Amino acid sequence: MSLRNSTIAAVLTIGLTGTAGAEELVVGSFGGSFADNVKACHVAAFEKATGATVALKLGNSSQFAAAVRATGGKPDMDIVYIDNSLAAQLNGEGLADKIDRTKLKSAPDVIASAWGKNDSYVVAMVSATALVYNPKLVKAPPSSWLDLADPAYAGKYAIGDITGTSGLHYLLAVNKAKGGTLDNTDPGFEAIKPIAKGSAVLYTQADQLLALFEREEIAVAPWYPDRAGVAMDKGLSLAVAYPKEGAVGILPAVVIPKGTAKADLALKFLDQILSAEGQGCFSEKAYIGAVNTKVKLSDKVAKIVPNGESLEKAWFIDPELIAKNSANWTRRWQREVAR
Amino acid sequence: MMPVRHALLILAPLGLVLAAFFLVPVLMLLPTSFGSYVPGSGIAKGVWTLENYLRIATDDYYREVIWRTLGLGLGVSLASLILGYPVAWLIARGPASWRVPLILLVVFPMLLNLVVRSFGWIVLLANRGLVNNLLMQLGLITAPIKLMFNLTGVMIGLTHIYLPFMVLMLVAAIRNIPRDVEAAAATLGSSRTHVFLSVTLPLSAPGILAGSILVFVLTISALVTPRMLGGPTYKVMATLIYDEYVQLLDWPSGSALSFALALMAIGIIWASSRLARRWAGMA
Repeated sequence: MSLRNSTIAAVLTIGLTGTAGAEELVVGSFGGSFADNVKACHVAAFEKATGATVALKLGNSSQFAAAVRATGGKPDMDIVYIDNSLAAQLNGEGLADKIDRTKLKSAPDVIASAWGKNDSYVVAMVSATALVYNPKLVKAPPSSWLDLADPAYAGKYAIGDITGTSGLHYLLAVNKAKGGTLDNTDPGFEAIKPIAKGSAVLYTQADQLLALFEREEIAVAPWYPDRAGVAMDKGLSLAVAYPKEGAVGILPAVVIPKGTAKADLALKFLDQILSAEGQGCFSEKAYIGAVNTKVKLSDKVAKIVPNGESLEKAWFIDPELIAKNSANWTRRWQREVAR
Repeated sequence: MMPVRHALLILAPLGLVLAAFFLVPVLMLLPTSFGSYVPGSGIAKGVWTLENYLRIATDDYYREVIWRTLGLGLGVSLASLILGYPVAWLIARGPASWRVPLILLVVFPMLLNLVVRSFGWIVLLANRGLVNNLLMQLGLITAPIKLMFNLTGVMIGLTHIYLPFMVLMLVAAIRNIPRDVEAAAATLGSSRTHVFLSVTLPLSAPGILAGSILVFVLTISALVTPRMLGGPTYKVMATLIYDEYVQLLDWPSGSALSFALALMAIGIIWASSRLARRWAGMA
């Protein structure tokens, strides 16, 4: 049993070819186009500057949190890209190293709000859960989170399962639109039940939507502008709409797990992530907002990523509250929504 | 008879491997399963509780998933048996020249990774998958029928994946049946159907039972296929345990569920081996 199960549990490790003797930094990164962009914008410059090599370990935020806990104190990753709520969770468990800002050349350029509690993590980029639609099928862009309940979209939309960021965000956004709060999510659960029933699928992987949009099975979905931007570059007919209630902010962060033997090298990698060139490159390639104030977005990117009005209206939920409540919300979702 | 000492020596390597890589890790989970998880700050230190086990017994969602898992195990075992028996019989009793190609056909899918095979079923069973598209183009249905993220999809996927185990067990059992017993029945005037039903089938019962137990246990512990074809809406115990561990980070609850699953599997193996002994006594 355990052998078979480990097939999926084991995260794919992509070893980049390295010269013998060079130091190797193990970086936990999200997969898909995210990993490609990490290689292009963060890894390449880092390897050139330090002579060290980087091995990427692919997974999602909660898998990384589970792995850091399982290896508590002797992590198998030296630095990890992770959602800020799970970064807060790791800090709560005492598993995140304090980041020494003085060792980072780029630290002064990074916006103050990017730093997590006790400098246990730093937010590296800004994205959001917004509505993505196919302009060929949808004439008037959706304007509200609740539009999915509109009969015009019946059977032509998909929402995420709560185990993914967009699923959780959509639930909380609907909850807020219906008058709920983070302490009382009853209105959200009531409103989302019929929406989930009518969803083409409850997607669990962000890129599951690519095929659904491509085959025109769906016309609209709560999704990530960055994924949509990359998909548009590949020729998909998509557009991003920021709902009038405001998008829900996503802050992918970086954590250095406590106990890594390569903390200094990890800090150098972090410096590359936060540097103006590393940030600018990632923003342009990945359609993601930057935390370095020196980065200027191109017009093409600015149309898609949260910035200006869409950024001001975005709802950034306290990551500690998400860490504390997500288990209960997930259990309730399993029992009431996905059942 | 072999002296007990020798038997123990022969068992020693396997026993050590099992102890080191299975028993010890499993036992290490035991304390965790009585722990308490506090969202946001991790597993509470020094707190012991029965709550994780109580919840499995009292929460009707967990109970539903447990019954669903057991039902799925039974369904897949039965389906594999019904589909597998004719093939196994053909391999064991059919023309000799068919034997190797048939065995290859049965074993061949096992050379392919589980994820690939499950993904193949997604391509076939999705709303706009091959099956639905074909049915719609033939005009048999107007809207796609749901073949995935429900019992149908998981049943189809698991039956396909575990069928080879059943067939191979049955082939061995059927080949062990002495042909002269069947011949004796035939010379005494039994029809071929009667020979099959009253001689071959009962004598292959140990194989049927062994194959069914194997498929059952593999099914209730399968993770990859239920995750891919069951999705978030059709949870079984293995996917629930995965979620508790990796998505919710609630290891105590996940550990308790793991023990419940392991105990169920052990209980079923024990009960059916007793059954097998009684059948063997009858035959």
